[in-house]
Amino acid sequence: MPDRPLNRICYVEDDEDIQRIVRMSLERVGKMTVAVVGDPTQAIETITEFRPDLVMLDWMMPVLDGPTLFRQMKLRPETSALPVVFITARASQRDLDELKTLGAAATISKPFSPKDLPDQLRAIWAALP
Amino acid sequence: MAQALLRRMDHSTTANGTSRRLEVSTKAVEAEIRDRADPGQVLADRVAQLYRQMPIAIAATFIAGGIATFELQGRWLQELVLLWWAIVVLFSAAASLLLYAYYRSPDKFSSAPQWLRWLGIAALSNGASWGLAGGVFFRSLSDEQQVFLAFLFAGMASVGIPVYAASWPIFALYAAGILLPFFYVLLTFGNRLFVEIALLVPLFYVINVAIAYQLTQVFHSGYRLRRAYGKLTEDHRALNRRLEKQLVELDEARRQVELSGRKLALFAERAPIAVLELQADGTVAEVNHAAEMLFGYAASELVGGPVKKLVRPEFHAEFDRTWHELLASRESMAGLKIRNPRRDGIDLICEWTVTPLVNIQHEVIAVIAQGRDITAQQEAERMKKEFTSTLSHELRTPLTSIIGSLQLINSGVMGEVDKEVGELTMVAERNGQRLLDLINDILDVEKIESGKLTFVPEPTSVNDLVREAMVLNKAFGERFKVRFEARADNEPERQVRVDRKRLLQVMTNLLSNAAKFSPEGSVVEISTEDAGPNVRIAVHDRGTGIPDAFRTRIFGRFTQADSTATRQKGGSGLGLAICKRLVELMGGQIGFQDRPGGGTSFWFELPRHSA
Repeated sequence: MPDRPLNRICYVEDDEDIQRIVRMSLERVGKMTVAVVGDPTQAIETITEFRPDLVMLDWMMPVLDGPTLFRQMKLRPETSALPVVFITARASQRDLDELKTLGAAATISKPFSPKDLPDQLRAIWAALP
Repeated sequence: MAQALLRRMDHSTTANGTSRRLEVSTKAVEAEIRDRADPGQVLADRVAQLYRQMPIAIAATFIAGGIATFELQGRWLQELVLLWWAIVVLFSAAASLLLYAYYRSPDKFSSAPQWLRWLGIAALSNGASWGLAGGVFFRSLSDEQQVFLAFLFAGMASVGIPVYAASWPIFALYAAGILLPFFYVLLTFGNRLFVEIALLVPLFYVINVAIAYQLTQVFHSGYRLRRAYGKLTEDHRALNRRLEKQLVELDEARRQVELSGRKLALFAERAPIAVLELQADGTVAEVNHAAEMLFGYAASELVGGPVKKLVRPEFHAEFDRTWHELLASRESMAGLKIRNPRRDGIDLICEWTVTPLVNIQHEVIAVIAQGRDITAQQEAERMKKEFTSTLSHELRTPLTSIIGSLQLINSGVMGEVDKEVGELTMVAERNGQRLLDLINDILDVEKIESGKLTFVPEPTSVNDLVREAMVLNKAFGERFKVRFEARADNEPERQVRVDRKRLLQVMTNLLSNAAKFSPEGSVVEISTEDAGPNVRIAVHDRGTGIPDAFRTRIFGRFTQADSTATRQKGGSGLGLAICKRLVELMGGQIGFQDRPGGGTSFWFELPRHSA
């Protein structure tokens, strides 16, 4: 369990509506600091600047999908150690298993409840080594 | 036998047939024909002939005996002569009786050896009676009388030859009966001439027996031939009858074949599926009307050309491989999906069944290809998959935004809203959730039916499971003002091996149904108990019960007791159908029964798991 509380979150998501809901959920309900990235190709740059505690990735995004972005993050020393949580609308058991072996911290399936999302993330954070 | 005969005859005429060979084989044929005769029949024939001759023997004995008695009477031993005559008459009478018995006998065939023996005894007695005359009277007769008696003996002995010709041993016995005493008397007469005559007697005897033997052989052979030909004719008749019957059967079979041929042709012509007859090299030999319609070619445009005309060029290599495999295995292939271009260039997807026709030499003489247009079906399947994918992703993403926004508003973190606005956003959230549940239910049904549902079974405590389900559904119960209560909290610890999440889904379904249909303020009870090797978990409500008309299809899809209930209570009508399938997939069963005092108990049973 990390020695500090979960505070800084970076969320990569192409859907603006969901961006807004997640931001409100985490800021208002969870009292956290949030950076949202709409263009996945800019994600690594933002993450490097923002230095989040945890990264949330949408699974399906145009141009660059979540798993591919995750693999790219793993190749960079400044992002490779960050815990990553996937948000998915549909994933087969095989996909989930693959993510587990790649080292994803958890997956949260859509639709999620914005009321409960901060608690869900804190639970994941608490379970980290 | 007949085949062997024919084979042999065939052999003798077709093979290099020198005359010697032919002769040998003719003899062999004769022998083979004779061998067909039944020996029992032949013996019976010979016995019948012997008995037919008997009246001659009896008459000859009687007449000759009468003459001899007349001639010899008045001599010194008159009483003796009369006694002899009495013996002759007695023997003749006995022989007549035997003859009578034989003709009255119902079974002359199987008892033929017996009749032959009796005849032998009669013949010996007959001969011996003459021998008696010779032995007793000869010495005391005058010269003329001696000549008479000698002549009589010779005559009687030679008459025996034709009479007993059918059995030389009987003749030998008969003649010996006459001649042996005579021979002895002549030999011991003390007169040189008589001794010389006596020495001639055995010679004549032997010659006569030899002649009788020859005659017996001739008769025997004759009877055998007669019987053999009789048998042959009989065989022939039987063979003819059989051939006739076979001819009729063959004719019938030919008609049947013709009929089924016509039927098959009719099937192919009128069938709604395309039927192509192909040669082993892939040339089209015949096509039916449906094939013409399907591909837009006239039969004349396809027949004689390669069938690959109906396969897109980029698949020719694959087609060749499959064709080669088909010819090598000579086994029918089914379910071959092939892209077939029509005459106008539009592709069809057809499912083909191809069957090689193989002759006795195991050569492929034709290939019958039957094809069904499955283009529309394939398109429908593709659309169904696409629809499912759309449902799960494209509908869930916007719902996430809708439900999420409403939840944030309703949770109050966005600040207080007007009371009536708040009620409306609550309605919107609840119905968004309902829509989401429906989508999830449909996806579950689709997953179950396509076999894509994966279970992660693990040993699970039933008590824990019930507690968790109650916690999860507490809020839902509160909405309908219904309280969940486990019947006995100190139930023994039981384990089942299930997919925890899926079983919770079943529990949630049963609990939410019970809450929806229970009167406000009532208690929904949950009980767990052993049921043989299973654990039974039941949810008891105090609702109005299940209407009779609905009982049989309660676990069907899209079923609810009435559509007004759907509007009032919500739900997709798929819940119980999903529960049933999930429970069954986990090796259990589900059901319901009326609850004493009103209401319904829904239950499911799962095999108990022992660690």
